[in-house]
Amino acid sequence: MAKVLMIDYEKCTGCRLCELVCSVKHEGVSNPARSRIKIVKWEWEGRYVPMSCQQCESAPCMSVCPVKAISRNEEMGRVEIDYDVCIGCRMCIAICPFGGMSFDTLASKVIKCDFCDGDPQCVRFCEPEAIQYVDAAEVSSVKQVAAAEKFTGIMQKVAAAIAAV
Amino acid sequence: MAKETTGATTMESLARGRTTGKFRCVNCFVRISPPPGAKTYKCPHCGFEWRVFWISPTFPRIRGPVWDVNRRLAAEEVSKQRKGGK
Amino acid sequence: MALNRKIAYINLTTGEIETKPIPISMRKKFLGGRGLDMYLMYNHVKPGVDPLGPDNVAFVSAGILVSTLASATARTHIGGKSPLTGYVGSANMGGFFAPEMRWAGFDHLVIKGKAEKPVYLWIHNGEIEIRDAKNIWGKTVHETQQIVREELGDREIKILTIGPAGEKLVRFANVMTGVKDAGGRSGMGALLGSKNLKCIACRGTMDIKIAHPQEALDYNKTFITQITSAKVSQTQGKIGTPFIWGSTNSWGGIRTNNFQYNQLEYSDDIEAESLDEVNIGMAGCFGCQVHCRARYIIPDGPYKGVYDEGPEYTAQGAFCGEPGCTKRNTLLVCNHLANIYGMDLLEVGSLTAWAMELYEKGILTDKDTDGLELRFGNDEAMIEMCHRIARREGLGDILAEGGLRAAKKIGKDSIKYLIHVKGMSNLHSDERGTPSLALGIATGSRGSDHLRSRPAVDLYHLPEPVLRKIYSTPVAYDGPLTSDYKDYEGKPWQVFWHETCYEAVDCLGICKYHTTFLAATGPNFEEWSRVLYYNTGLEMSPVDIWTVAERAYNMERLFNLREGLTRKDDWLNDRYFDEPTTRGIPAVQGRTIDREKFAKMIGEYYEHHGWDENGVPTPETLKRLGIDKEPSHVL
Repeated sequence: MAKVLMIDYEKCTGCRLCELVCSVKHEGVSNPARSRIKIVKWEWEGRYVPMSCQQCESAPCMSVCPVKAISRNEEMGRVEIDYDVCIGCRMCIAICPFGGMSFDTLASKVIKCDFCDGDPQCVRFCEPEAIQYVDAAEVSSVKQVAAAEKFTGIMQKVAAAIAAV
Repeated sequence: MAKETTGATTMESLARGRTTGKFRCVNCFVRISPPPGAKTYKCPHCGFEWRVFWISPTFPRIRGPVWDVNRRLAAEEVSKQRKGGK
Repeated sequence: MALNRKIAYINLTTGEIETKPIPISMRKKFLGGRGLDMYLMYNHVKPGVDPLGPDNVAFVSAGILVSTLASATARTHIGGKSPLTGYVGSANMGGFFAPEMRWAGFDHLVIKGKAEKPVYLWIHNGEIEIRDAKNIWGKTVHETQQIVREELGDREIKILTIGPAGEKLVRFANVMTGVKDAGGRSGMGALLGSKNLKCIACRGTMDIKIAHPQEALDYNKTFITQITSAKVSQTQGKIGTPFIWGSTNSWGGIRTNNFQYNQLEYSDDIEAESLDEVNIGMAGCFGCQVHCRARYIIPDGPYKGVYDEGPEYTAQGAFCGEPGCTKRNTLLVCNHLANIYGMDLLEVGSLTAWAMELYEKGILTDKDTDGLELRFGNDEAMIEMCHRIARREGLGDILAEGGLRAAKKIGKDSIKYLIHVKGMSNLHSDERGTPSLALGIATGSRGSDHLRSRPAVDLYHLPEPVLRKIYSTPVAYDGPLTSDYKDYEGKPWQVFWHETCYEAVDCLGICKYHTTFLAATGPNFEEWSRVLYYNTGLEMSPVDIWTVAERAYNMERLFNLREGLTRKDDWLNDRYFDEPTTRGIPAVQGRTIDREKFAKMIGEYYEHHGWDENGVPTPETLKRLGIDKEPSHVL
């Protein structure tokens, strides 16, 4: 089954190592402006959110592309750009609801997450596991367990409080 | 040459000696293993008692002394030493 | 490539800006960051200048590995003649500023002169602009950064700024970035304030080419795993540096009530685990997987709901250990105030605790304190003094001048009670039981300081073979080494080794928590030789890097000597020798430092350096290090 990036922003520590390793892997340089992943921050609230391509099933970038340069690779579960066809019009950037598509001004091309062909470096280096590479179906079960744990935790606390009384 | 990797570095070889589930009693330096989840633990070697914090279920650390116990033990020990010294 | 970042000379008096490449020969000699800053400082700051006058020079730099794959390559260094001590001024901070400065094209800034009115620098992809700062003058550290981002219209801008304390020339004001990252020692904030320079805003999108990208990625994985698998890193990653308190305060290594006790008893409320209750998650500096910065929200009191980061170990001691306060709220509030005013919390707490002792001894009276009851354990007084020092009100104005100047003003025998070296206050640690730590603070180039050479692993009772392994790499050492922290033997070498190690990390731009500081298993010279090669292509052996650090440290010594430093400045307050400790485990009770043995240690420490008995580098040493013709004015 195709895998996806599962992002848990609550675990993100905002270090931006994912941005660094992404630009090194793809371009051989340290330059977050050329990274396919981006940590959006509200520093004065302590809120850090990793943002990247969602690899949509019905991707707006794919529909809007006037030259059909964008397609879905079902095996990899990713949305891909065919740079031989791409004309660099940036319509995909304009329409993407997540900012998952960005423009590399140095290479003059649109760039997006390609899962590093199956070994996403952001995942490899994220020690707090804010970004994980998992089966698409697994995402909800992970979330169910986390929510259930929280819920039963509360129940146990309540039970303990009642017992104490 | 800088790029060559020959054998383990100091860091790598020292890391092999790590212990888990234990901490050193900061009074007598013996490595001690509190039972899982213990909130306090008396050093079986010297009797000093420590409040324990668990970084993870298998990783204890000293949070601080059990004040009344350690203050008393220290006072006794110090007065014994002073008497012995006289 | 990673070595093509430039140096910029900015003259605030004339508005002239010049940029130059940094020759590879200088890279090999000093790498970057603190190392090259110290070369620049010796070359550009004329002897005897007023630290707060226009002739002093401010140096801002990134370490040579900043923004590359070497884990936690985030460090900014700020240098200049210290307004606090008159000797080496040097401060180092994490966060995200230095990487942004490199992406904007610069490694070193040399800031001269004084602007006529408040200004700030805007550095963007190779361009530097001097801009009017009237909108931000008077604003706090947090406000300033938000206003500048809005003004320049980019939320990704990273800003190095001073707060109100820096503007008011508080002699231990910080340079800050982000929420709490602080270049927090030796008054570099006052230096920028004296130049009417409020902040430096940076934004860059220029490539830093990695020499061997795949190897750099793969080795970084190994490197990071080594770091994060250390128990200390895991602990720090969960509860931050306050974990250290659990150890040092447990045996009696915390100076309390200024210097009257060596343990803060019943301090459960300010322990790391109590702070953990208000922690909403950890945060990391650039590229760091240890993430030791706690994010917190103040849970109660007049500051309820305020967000900040920290507090660190230093804050626990400064706002609780030294003034004898035991409330968590005091710690959280004071930490926040120091962050927004932009001042060295260590000095604030330490000087306040000193004033408390003076008040209790009758040297300061209610008249001096404007009625503030400056007694140990008075939480409100501690909080109030944060405001007064930052705003230079009443007694705060006197303390804002730093300990030595304040002691002169207060007179009587106030100096007797001041815990300082070279005019810089000491951390809250009590070194009477630990000669190695005492030697470190006595000899530190920027004054009493735990981040210059502290052999913290000396406290771990490591077996001799382990010590032998650590301390005989990368250069041979076959002298004594002992596991007992109470000993005097072999410690001078440990201090020298750590001093060189910490200088090296500061040249590289890596965090000290990623070397042999808190964890005995941290990476050092051998690993750096590899990361340096993979990232920059520079081929330097572990010994080469050691030599760079030695060279840089000698530049600091030369600077201090030129400013009049003598052997007697490498010394401690008499209290260390005369007042025995009274608390803690039996082994550290009744301890003092032995004058004679301590003097001998200092002699040995000089010998390891290749300095004479007065602490002056011998001609042979300078020649060996290739700095016998300084100042050479290459840059």
